[in-house]
Amino acid sequence: MSEIGTILWIIPILPLAAAVLIVFLGPRLLRGFSHVPCVLALAVSCVLSVYVLIHVARQPDELIHPTYYTWFAAGNIHIPVAFRADPLTAFMLAMVTFVGTFIAIFAAGYMHGDDGYPRFFAEVSLFVFSMTGLVLADNYMVLFAFWEGVGLCSYLLIGFWYEKPSAAHAARKAFLVTRIGDLGFILGIILLWITFGHNLDYEYVFTNAANVNRGALIAICFLLFSGAIGKSAQFPLHVWLPDAMEGPTPVSALIHAATMVTAGVYLVARSMPLYVLAPQVLLFVACIGTFTALLAAFIALTQTDLKRVLAYSTVSQLGYMFLGLGAAVYAQHSRLAVEAGMFHLFTHAFFKALLFLSAGSVMHAMGNVIDMRRFSGLRRVLPYTHIAFLCGAVALAAVPLTSGFWSKDAILTAAYNAAKEGHHYGAVFVLLFICAVITAGLTAFYTFRAYFMTFWGEERIPHEAGHHAHESPLIMVVPLMVLSVGALFAGYIDAEPFGLTWLGTFLEHVKHLPAMPTESVTATLLDRVWLLVVPLAMSLGGIAVAWLMYVRQPAWPGVVAARARALYELSWNKVHFDEIYNAFFVLPLWLFAQFCRIFDLGVVDSIVDVLGHVPRLIGGLFRPIQNGLVQFYALAMVLGLTVFLIALVNALAK
Amino acid sequence: MILYPAMLQNYLVVGAILFVLGMIGFLARRNLIIMFLSAEMMLQGVAVNLVAFAYYHGNMQGQAFTLFILTVAACEAGIALALILILFRSKRSLDVSLWQELREPGQEPTRDEEPLVPPPPALPLPRLTPAGIEPRPKEREESHV
Amino acid sequence: MKEDNGFFHPSFLIPHPWCLRGQGFMMLGALSPWADHVWRVALPAALGLVAVYLLLPRPRPMLRVAGIALAFLAVVAAGFVLLHTSGRPVYDTLFYFFAFVAVVSGGMLVTHRDPVHAALSFALVVLSTCGLFLIMAAPFLMAATIIVYAGAIIVTFLFVIMLAQQQGLSDADSRSREPFLTTVACFVLLPTLLYIILQTYDTGQPLQQVVARATRAQDEKFNTVPAVVEASGGAGLLEDYRKALLALRWTPNAEEYQNQVNGPVNNLKAQWAAGEKAGNVKTLKNILADVQANGTKVLEGYAKLTPPPGSQVSQLSVPSKELHLLYPGETVAPLGRSLFTDYLIAVELAGTLLLVATIGTIAIAGRRTEGLR
Repeated sequence: MSEIGTILWIIPILPLAAAVLIVFLGPRLLRGFSHVPCVLALAVSCVLSVYVLIHVARQPDELIHPTYYTWFAAGNIHIPVAFRADPLTAFMLAMVTFVGTFIAIFAAGYMHGDDGYPRFFAEVSLFVFSMTGLVLADNYMVLFAFWEGVGLCSYLLIGFWYEKPSAAHAARKAFLVTRIGDLGFILGIILLWITFGHNLDYEYVFTNAANVNRGALIAICFLLFSGAIGKSAQFPLHVWLPDAMEGPTPVSALIHAATMVTAGVYLVARSMPLYVLAPQVLLFVACIGTFTALLAAFIALTQTDLKRVLAYSTVSQLGYMFLGLGAAVYAQHSRLAVEAGMFHLFTHAFFKALLFLSAGSVMHAMGNVIDMRRFSGLRRVLPYTHIAFLCGAVALAAVPLTSGFWSKDAILTAAYNAAKEGHHYGAVFVLLFICAVITAGLTAFYTFRAYFMTFWGEERIPHEAGHHAHESPLIMVVPLMVLSVGALFAGYIDAEPFGLTWLGTFLEHVKHLPAMPTESVTATLLDRVWLLVVPLAMSLGGIAVAWLMYVRQPAWPGVVAARARALYELSWNKVHFDEIYNAFFVLPLWLFAQFCRIFDLGVVDSIVDVLGHVPRLIGGLFRPIQNGLVQFYALAMVLGLTVFLIALVNALAK
Repeated sequence: MILYPAMLQNYLVVGAILFVLGMIGFLARRNLIIMFLSAEMMLQGVAVNLVAFAYYHGNMQGQAFTLFILTVAACEAGIALALILILFRSKRSLDVSLWQELREPGQEPTRDEEPLVPPPPALPLPRLTPAGIEPRPKEREESHV
Repeated sequence: MKEDNGFFHPSFLIPHPWCLRGQGFMMLGALSPWADHVWRVALPAALGLVAVYLLLPRPRPMLRVAGIALAFLAVVAAGFVLLHTSGRPVYDTLFYFFAFVAVVSGGMLVTHRDPVHAALSFALVVLSTCGLFLIMAAPFLMAATIIVYAGAIIVTFLFVIMLAQQQGLSDADSRSREPFLTTVACFVLLPTLLYIILQTYDTGQPLQQVVARATRAQDEKFNTVPAVVEASGGAGLLEDYRKALLALRWTPNAEEYQNQVNGPVNNLKAQWAAGEKAGNVKTLKNILADVQANGTKVLEGYAKLTPPPGSQVSQLSVPSKELHLLYPGETVAPLGRSLFTDYLIAVELAGTLLLVATIGTIAIAGRRTEGLR
């Protein structure tokens, strides 16, 4: 096998080995040092991923997809374990491992003193193994296997403090809700398997995508997207992500900001050769994404839990990514769409992870209090955290020249291109574009609302902080700083006005997609206005409104809430999604489960008990024969002897 | 003249009848002694059979075997009596139905349901008076002599 | 005439493969169809069943007189239906007497309520069985049985009864355990056993009679064809001869045996017919002689159930003459010789067994003064 092929399988195996090591040696031997294998493994994987990235960047057209062994082969089924190193994979791999390494370093400081310290790092290592495997997969079955792996690790990590009932509940909720999406996903894979002649390799599928039944293809794309809806917390399956904040903050940063939730986006981006042939589904994708973005932004406006705000922000940004991907309704813009989605994914990983880690730092300092109403004015108490949060906030709000600005601009450009095309879907995309712009404004608003509420105003520290109200240790600050740099400057891989288009050209080498159009669509001045000025205005306007409401006039939030009581209530109660789902789905199922339980105990168990009693009853019929009277026994023997003799005589007489 | 099988058949029939009667006695009677005697009668039936065959074949095999059966029966009688003795010591009765401990746990012991017909009252034995005195007649007393 | 006929070849005596040992030991293969003997065993058994059931002790005795009458009926019926006379009146009388006493005493043993009466009935059983032993040329056994059983065992048991049940009858003596089931079981077993006995040993009777008739008809005084025909029964005799031979079938293959029998017999019949027509007394008498000789040979082979040639029977133990020709006293010597030559080890072992049983009895019963064990 080639050198790159070897490296490809080492990248996931290192975290797996670290996980196994921590599992066996952690509790007794390593204890407080359980983070060492994890961080080391992630760091080495990161270096190797960067190496792979460089290698692929040098020869982007070379198709590297080594097969390692056959997972199972029986009859029609033949699933090899094969990894692929193409621009999309290498790009995501580098991002995942890089961000993962620093989050692990942060977690080493954050989780210090926790009883489940080794367990945490074992699970984190396992997660990174699954995520890297997911990204590296070369066929849908291996992808699905790792998909389930990340789902499992998410469950384990959300429910890390499992004794807490709310955490256990949240973990279950996350797993079950994503499971609903996974059902569609597996159906999609099966349909894929049937349609494409029992072959699930990417190469094969993408090459022959144009030759198969279009209806089947549309169904496949829709079903695959349903898996993405579940995993990436889009409407209607977004309800698990805010509750997943029950897990430790590094977990939220790693899984629910940077990596796992982006698996859905990756899936759609990877399957783009299929999606371009099913533009209806892409329209659906874009609509769902935009709606989710708007919905989540709406809900985030009134949340008081800092992590919840960030969670809804994640949901919203994921919606943006799907909007970007959905712009590939017009096949000629597919590359642009993929680039937009992946770019935003990339930058979002940095600034969202940074925001989460800063929130973790705040929590750590405030004695695990995260309700923004209970603390304020922390910028003097936590200077580094303050800077880090600010960097993340400006990136999220898409302040010009930050990474978030460039990536959101890419998304809006893609949507605008689609809107401009006109025929078929153009009108819808106009609406989607407007919604996206509005959401950008809301994003900036709630982000800075959170910022101002936390770091500005009079200094209030809750009593739980005790003596903790100081800056976090170095081990936690350094990753913050690194990620701040990333949040600010990671966008320059594809900053068009500066002529930096590395990502665009890099992703151009992703196969099976139609070529980029030669001339840019967004050429006119009006386009430029729409694409540059309006978002800028939105973001700066949002920041200004937030500053006004939470710094200058602190009484205004209450007034606004009182004026728009209905809207406020709707947003505060998360648009009652949980209650609706509870009433329509959870309660009937719970009733059914109760019925099943009663049926099982009452009917089935009774049947089994009756069956158990039957031998006893039959025995009871025969037991009186053993009455202890010797003569009775002798009589029985004589009867038997008589019968035997008669039978013998009969037999002989014939 | 040869002892035709018809003559042998006679003895075998008698032996079979004795054997079966003995079996009935063994199975039906509840007195340990009677049970044992019935078993001995079964052995007698078998002995009749064996001697008949010896007579039929014209050799001594059957009689020799019967002799050994006799020996074993004697040993068996001795040991059976010893066991009966022990059983009697425990329950002060020769009833074999009192020994039911081998029954299934949870079974009720088998008890006699039907009441016995009470025996007719025993007539008193006559008593003699000391010589010379006329006995005073009693109403209920009747002489047996 | 037909010495080397395959039918009368000594291989006729080779037993059926599924006889377990010896030669011609159990002629169960000669079982003829059911119905011949069923009524003969069923009648006395049914009568006996009812009798014994009525007579078994029960708390409220009923129909005892009917029971006794039925018992007598059963015994008499059995005597008529199941037993054969041998033509020797003294022998027969003694046999019937002893057999009757034995069976009746056996019934009394089983049905008497009082254990003392039952023990005394058993004494009667033993005495009558010993009488049977005596007429079967086993005087030593008679003596030994009387001494051991009637003299020792019964006396001991009487002692035990006297000591244990001094009040006479106990409750248990008046009851029976499962009288109905017991009686039914045993009186189903009895006819089965009797049926097997009759099937095995009664089938020679027809052939015996045929041979007897053939022998009788060869007498000098019958010297004309009609006389011979009348004395013997003519072709009917040959027919009876054939049926008697068929009854003695000892192979399961009925067809083959039938062919074996029918062939020669049809030959004989043809010859008889020819002889009768020709008026040749000599021919007829020859045929009768033939029948007699072959019938006797079959019966001899049938009757001669001797021990297998391999068994070690020493010359010393063989009686000097046939048993029924010996005086009773003369049969003791062969028994003694047989015991001390053929069965020496068994005798020694029996002695050891007696010793061990004695020790065992003492060990089990123990001493009274040591209290309950």
